[in-house]
Amino acid sequence: MLTKNKLTTACLANATAAALLTLYSAGVLAKDYIVTTARPDVLFVVDAKERKVVKTHKIPNTSMGNSPITVVPSRDGKVAYIIHNRWETVSGIDLENGKEVFRAELSEGEDLRGKAVFAMDLSPDGKELAVFVNPTRLLPGEYQVLDPYIAIYRTDAGTDAKPERKLPSPRRVSTLAYSAKGDTLYTFSWEMLKLDPKTGAVKGQHPWRSWKEPNRGEPDTLAIWPQWEQTNIFATPYYKVATDKEAGDPAALRAGIWALDLEKDTVSFKEFEDASVVLFSSAVNPVRRNEVYTVYTQLTRTDMKTGKMDRVDLDHTYYDVNVSSDGSELYIGGTQGDIAVYDSKSLKRIGNIRTPGGGDQVLSSLRIFKR
Amino acid sequence: MKKKHMARGTGALVLVTGLAISAIGNPAHAALSGQALVNSKCATCHEAKTDQHWTRIGESRRTPEGWDMTVARMTFAHGVKLSSEERGAVVKYLADTYGLAPDETADHRYIIERTPSVVEHPESKPIGDTCARCHSYGRIAVQRRTEDDWRKLVHFHVGQFPAIEIQAGGRDRNWFEIATGDVAKELGKVYGYDTASWKQWQAQKHADASGVWRLVGNRPGVGAYEGKATIARTGDDRYSVAMVMRYENGSEESAKGSAIVYTGHEWRATLKQGGRDIHQVFSLGANGAELNGRWFEANNDAVGGTMRAVRADKGVPASVLSVQPAMVRAGMRTTLAINGVGLNGEVNLGRGVKVIKLVEQSAERIVAEVEVAKDVASSSRDVQVGRASGAGLLKLYKQIDYVKVLPQHPMARVGGNGGSQPKVPAQLEAIAWAAGPDGKPGTADDIRLGAVPAAWSVDNLNKMAAEMQDTKFAGRIEQTGLFVPNGAGPNAERKYKTNNAGELKVTATVKDGSRMVKASAPLIVTVQRFNDPPIR
Ligand code: HEC
Ligand code: HEC
Repeated sequence: MLTKNKLTTACLANATAAALLTLYSAGVLAKDYIVTTARPDVLFVVDAKERKVVKTHKIPNTSMGNSPITVVPSRDGKVAYIIHNRWETVSGIDLENGKEVFRAELSEGEDLRGKAVFAMDLSPDGKELAVFVNPTRLLPGEYQVLDPYIAIYRTDAGTDAKPERKLPSPRRVSTLAYSAKGDTLYTFSWEMLKLDPKTGAVKGQHPWRSWKEPNRGEPDTLAIWPQWEQTNIFATPYYKVATDKEAGDPAALRAGIWALDLEKDTVSFKEFEDASVVLFSSAVNPVRRNEVYTVYTQLTRTDMKTGKMDRVDLDHTYYDVNVSSDGSELYIGGTQGDIAVYDSKSLKRIGNIRTPGGGDQVLSSLRIFKR
Repeated sequence: MKKKHMARGTGALVLVTGLAISAIGNPAHAALSGQALVNSKCATCHEAKTDQHWTRIGESRRTPEGWDMTVARMTFAHGVKLSSEERGAVVKYLADTYGLAPDETADHRYIIERTPSVVEHPESKPIGDTCARCHSYGRIAVQRRTEDDWRKLVHFHVGQFPAIEIQAGGRDRNWFEIATGDVAKELGKVYGYDTASWKQWQAQKHADASGVWRLVGNRPGVGAYEGKATIARTGDDRYSVAMVMRYENGSEESAKGSAIVYTGHEWRATLKQGGRDIHQVFSLGANGAELNGRWFEANNDAVGGTMRAVRADKGVPASVLSVQPAMVRAGMRTTLAINGVGLNGEVNLGRGVKVIKLVEQSAERIVAEVEVAKDVASSSRDVQVGRASGAGLLKLYKQIDYVKVLPQHPMARVGGNGGSQPKVPAQLEAIAWAAGPDGKPGTADDIRLGAVPAAWSVDNLNKMAAEMQDTKFAGRIEQTGLFVPNGAGPNAERKYKTNNAGELKVTATVKDGSRMVKASAPLIVTVQRFNDPPIR
């Protein structure tokens, strides 16, 4: 224990020292950096406007056959937290020097295995990390699924981190998102629950499954891509069956964007088309805040006020989209081994960044921080 | 070909590799005791309750393939070390002790026979809706478990694949609650452990398969065949097999290999047939009097055929198995071959079909010249030879009223091109139909005439396919109805550099006298199946 703590302190010290001599432009105008991961164990940082990979780090002690998933950078861009190792480990990697400054094994003892299925967020002050954990008791000759929980870790807990507390949670959580003030932990299950991050008490909810509209069935979304850091607006594409249309009618399945403002605690949504293409994940423009971008095999721009839509084909499927701080550029990644850069106005491709080592990003998140 | 051309199967045992990743066809483990192995290899985690019952292991029943998949998982997920002989012996013991009776698999044999492009019809809607989105419904329907063991299987799924709850088909419901609740109960009811069938089957003495067999079958793309097999016992539940198959197009194949019978009826053989490695997945039924099932190429299971065999030893009751051709147009004069065993006596094909002369006559095959009256109605005819009768084997027709493409929802998979998975072709057949006595096509009394030659073509299935030029990229069809997909991997020539998947429409054009009858089916060309377990 002692050695481990010492090691961590040493790492932290190193990291701090290195930060003073950083590549990153301290003092001058803050720049956008992209942080994401790729197969099998690569974490990398990109200078977005330069289209250049500036840091490549290895995620230590992971399962090489499996790819890392959710990435959450701290707001100051110092550390990125990553779910990896068959979803059984969360590591915090110092983005400057690649040191592992935080590590939480989600399993406990020999027989209690924990897996984190995508949902993870960092409190706005960077002090606490919330992780949705699915535990399974490994009995002789049998697995027994237990109730899931939200593990809250202190980010200074080092590389043998144990949860500071565990919040009770419904099953089937795909997103965790702190409110801008940090006083609510949005927990997206069958409903968008508002939890007290201290106690787990349910303070309220925004309707999802119980969201009723005339002639519409229940909404469906797969919200596993956190990409709201530029706006504090969580946005996700959704589909709804139009119950007044015959199956087979193109208008029988409708698509829209659902958005939750993490500052104001308000929901807005816009149904904008008959579902004609697959929509995977969305991000809002921090400058023209009515504009939402959605990707998959197409890049779609939707005006949340008018529902007007523009669409271009992409060269392959992409899962993630994020937006530059000045709202001018879109960074599109996930799936394969490259990040495409698009102009947010013309929707023209203006750049491309290859992943170092060429590994696929698969289901990793594509996040932006400023330094 | 006559008997003397068939190998006697008493020579050196042909060593076989068994099903794809399994040890099921491997006869080399005769000496090992499966029960002792379960005690030494499994009981550390699965406590022995009685000398034939360990926790979990005594609470479910499976096919040989089902047991092999589970034992394989014990090896790769839980570190159980077994040589391939030991694995084979464990699977043999478990399938014999905890297997399924013939009637318990009857409705879902397609899944163990690896029949391509079967559209499943789950007999339980709740189970189908909850469980059949990642793998087949058949995988479930060829197992029997206690309700509690079904529930443990759900726990395994969620513990191992927690994303199951947020994927499409999982997130729209309280999946875990439903699957461990109502669905586990339903599974225990529909596919429960205790059944009268199994009790009865366990009490029954199981047949010895050795002897001489007469066989008939159909190989889509090539046609009907008939032949003979000699099966000789080489050990407990182990046999050598030698076969000859004569196709209606005049070609002939001989085959030689070895077989194991599991659970008293699950016949699994591996043979060299016409130069290719073939697996047979048959059931030894009717008290050991029949073998029924499908055979397929070991490394290309989309290609194969069906087979039915009956005993042809001396003194067996006479039976008519098939007639070639199986469909004759009204007003035609033709040569018919009747295949069977113990054939003896007058040939009677019913009113309006005149037997002009017998060209060949043996106990196993009669060739006759026949004439069908002009005014005969489209109908199914029993083929009678003496007292033996093959019900509805001969179809007479005025015209082909319509054609159906089979399978109705064919699927092919891109492959090869340096990748790990071979191409998976789709073998199509054009099946001719005639309207029945009501004169209306498309009603319940219609007569299925059989497979007919067709001119095959492909088109784009929809607007999207046309835009993506799927006909150009997805593959091509041969005039035997074999669709061969193109190579795997991204294609730089395609939009989005996408792979060669596509959505096509295949059309069979059948000539019926001076008329042309057409039928189409959607053909989906999709990506490789990287994990292809014995039960999909
Ligand atoms: C090291 C411990 C271990 C050993 C040894 C072991 N198993 Fe298991 N077995 C498990 C565990 C854990 C499970 C539950 C998780 C699973 O289904 O994979 C299980 C589950 C099973 C099941 C239920 C699977 C299902 O489909 O629901 C069967 C049957 C089984 N084992 C058979 C065997 C047999 C046969 C052997 C010996 C060849 C064996 N096991 C050896 C650990 C073991
Ligand atoms: C998310 C996809 C998914 C769903 C939904 C699913 N399964 Fe499975 N199932 C799998 C996979 C993957 C395996 C193979 C596990 C292995 O061998 O590693 C499997 C294996 C099985 C097996 C074979 C077990 C063995 O030991 O070989 C059975 C039986 C089965 N599932 C039944 C069910 C039932 C019953 C349900 C519904 C309650 C269900 N499955 C729902 C993915 C799924």
